[in-house]
Amino acid sequence: MKLKKNIGSILLFLLPTLAGLFLFKLYPIFSALVQSLYTTQFFTGEKSFVGLQNYQSLFVDPVFWNSLKVTLVFNLIINPLQIVLAFALAMLLNTKIKRIAFFRGIHFVPVAVSVPTACVLWNIMLSPEQGVVNSILVALGLDPQPFLGSSTQALGSIIAIASWKGVGYWALFLLAGLQEIPGSLLEASSLDGASRWKQFIHVILPLMKRPLTFIVVAVTTANFLLFSPMYILTKGGPENSTNVLMLESFNNAFLYSDMGRSYAIMVILLLITLTVVALQFKWLRTSH
Amino acid sequence: MNRFTRSHLLLYAVHIVLALLVLLPLAFAFVSSFRPLEDIYKYMSPITWKTFWPSNFTWGAYQMLFTERGFGQIFLNTFFVGAANVIGGLLLGSMAAFAFVYFEFRGKTLLFLLVLLTFMIPFEVISIPLYSLVNSLGWVDTYAGIIIPGIANGLVIFLFRQFFLELPTSLVESARMDGASWLRVYTRIVMPLCKPVTVSASLLIFIQQWESFLWPLIVTRSKEYKVIQVALSDFVTEYATYWNEMFAAVILSILLPVVLLLPLQRYYVQGIANTGSKE
Repeated sequence: MKLKKNIGSILLFLLPTLAGLFLFKLYPIFSALVQSLYTTQFFTGEKSFVGLQNYQSLFVDPVFWNSLKVTLVFNLIINPLQIVLAFALAMLLNTKIKRIAFFRGIHFVPVAVSVPTACVLWNIMLSPEQGVVNSILVALGLDPQPFLGSSTQALGSIIAIASWKGVGYWALFLLAGLQEIPGSLLEASSLDGASRWKQFIHVILPLMKRPLTFIVVAVTTANFLLFSPMYILTKGGPENSTNVLMLESFNNAFLYSDMGRSYAIMVILLLITLTVVALQFKWLRTSH
Repeated sequence: MNRFTRSHLLLYAVHIVLALLVLLPLAFAFVSSFRPLEDIYKYMSPITWKTFWPSNFTWGAYQMLFTERGFGQIFLNTFFVGAANVIGGLLLGSMAAFAFVYFEFRGKTLLFLLVLLTFMIPFEVISIPLYSLVNSLGWVDTYAGIIIPGIANGLVIFLFRQFFLELPTSLVESARMDGASWLRVYTRIVMPLCKPVTVSASLLIFIQQWESFLWPLIVTRSKEYKVIQVALSDFVTEYATYWNEMFAAVILSILLPVVLLLPLQRYYVQGIANTGSKE
């Protein structure tokens, strides 16, 4: 009985949001899967079903393989790096010293700096000829570096910029988790004679499983789909050294108008991300 | 010197180095934004104290941004898009959360799982297929195209739901006994109690919107609808050598989030801490 009376209210309260979520969040994923099986005629704009042909043509294309390699290398470096640095920073910000609130505040500042802003800022700082970073290197008696202009340094520079912006943010989540660990637990373990390292492995880490799982997943999904640094700073260059899959998909859609190929890349990227996230989940559940 | 103070000194040293690493680029951008263009390259190398201090102070870069580069319009756009998202997002999100907490209906758990799923899907994944949809709706290069797809927000539903679950149920029950309609319960009883979560959610939505780049880049073409992050990236391609203006634009893009976040930091951290402890 109660249910019937409520139907009007349920629709009023729930329908607008659910419609929005279905139309603008879930439907696009479904449509990407379907559209990756079609190709669009360049001149007429007509769509025709081609099955797995978009995928097949990707697998014989060296540009795609390079882009896949760059994406994997980038993520193999940046994800562990950011997680370890964020954890270390959270531990540092959790120490009980005077003025710690001040230092916590400082690492909160990059939260206000967006990734595109960080890119524009560091692009000027890292300028090969006149950038202040090279001036500092020269003042220290070192050689100036090409940074974003070199195919061996561009990806590393982007990793550094993204980490400058991101690590403080991720550390905020971990700090919240660390602050929930009861101090009595740590005191007890150090009275039992546990070393700092043992305490970290056997007391802190197991208690941090929940925030850590969240961070690992959030960092991974964010970085697999990171796009703006490559788009703003390098456009995928030099020599395709920063051409990640997300950029390749964007270029195919909006530069070469090859939507089918763009969707196929997107689907592959989605599958890789989901696989990595699922593996991480499994690993974090079984460890400890 | 005993071991205790030595380890403290080391901690302070590490903290100071890290703080400099975070703040120096921003401080440098701030200082350089008040320099005339010809001074910027002059003091960059070799490094002296002049590299870090504007000897010829000027507002010129900021003036140029607003008079020549159209940053007034860009700011208005970004504000408008942000405000529309905050208002729409709060309204829809809180109503949906209300339904999930106070109504009983079939498939509720499944629907809520779907909501959780949508907020775990990064916007980047759906941006390109979403473009085709928005294009067929005729919303490319309109405010509707930038704003509407983001309004239904799983994260906001989640935050409000957490808050509602902690409110005493007797409050709502007695109001219903007295014959209050659900709409009245929502507007007069539950929402007035929601100030902290409303502030957290507003901040999260606004900052998210302020920082969004890929979607506005895809969905807008003309200068009329440009938002701050896209304008910044265009600036790099179009006027790469106007460093003083680029620094000023960087400072402008950071200013508002800093002004909002510093006094309201507690609410923002609460908001993200709530999302972090989910499962």
